[in-house]
Amino acid sequence: MGNTNCIPAMIDRDGVVALIRAQMPDADVVVTDLTGTMDHYDIRVRSSAFTGKSLLDQHRMVYAALEDARQDGRIHALQLKTEVPSA
Amino acid sequence: MPDSDSLRDEISREVDANTILVYGKGTKDAPRCGFTLETIQFFNHFGYPFEVIDVLENVPKREVLSQMTDWPTLPKVFIDGQFYGDTDILGPMAESGELSTLLGKVFEKKGVKPSVVL
Repeated sequence: MGNTNCIPAMIDRDGVVALIRAQMPDADVVVTDLTGTMDHYDIRVRSSAFTGKSLLDQHRMVYAALEDARQDGRIHALQLKTEVPSA
Repeated sequence: MPDSDSLRDEISREVDANTILVYGKGTKDAPRCGFTLETIQFFNHFGYPFEVIDVLENVPKREVLSQMTDWPTLPKVFIDGQFYGDTDILGPMAESGELSTLLGKVFEKKGVKPSVVL
C-alpha cells in the first residue's frame, strides 16, 4: 500500500504470500492486515498440497512455511484458514 | 528448574484432569492475549466447564508443549486428552456441528450437562 519505509521487523502481505508459495507453489493466498501494523495477519490458504491432510496438519504446514518470520517477530500474530481446492 | 520430563508429566496430569483445557496467555479472569480471550469466549458459549492454564511467562513449559503438540502457537486446546489446535481449527468444527457432538459425547461419559447459556 505504497509503504516503502518498512522497518525490518515487519513483513508486508506480498512477503507472507511469497513465504507460503515457496512451500506450496500452487497456493491461493489471501492475506489481510488485521491491525494496520503489518504484524497481525489473517491468512487464508487454498492449496492441493492439503489434500488428504487433517486440518491440524494443514495448519502445521503453513506455520512451517512462516516459521522464520514468526521466530524473528516479523509476524506477531496470525489467524489462519486453510482449504483444499474444490475439484 | 524442572527438566522437560517433569514438565511433560505435569502437562499430562493437567490434560488428564481437565476435559477441556486451554493453555494460553493469561487467565480466564485476566486474559493477556486477544486469541486467548477469543478462546475463552468461544468455550463460554458452549456452556461446559473448561480450564485455562497461563503459560505466558513459563518459557520451558511452552517449549515442551510445542514439542508435544508439534504446534508453535498459543493458545493450545486439549479436549478429552486430545490436542485440537486453536479456534482456527475449532471454529470450522463448531460450524459443522462436529464440536457439539464431540463435547456432548465426552461430557456425557462424565455425567456433565452443559449449563444453559444465552
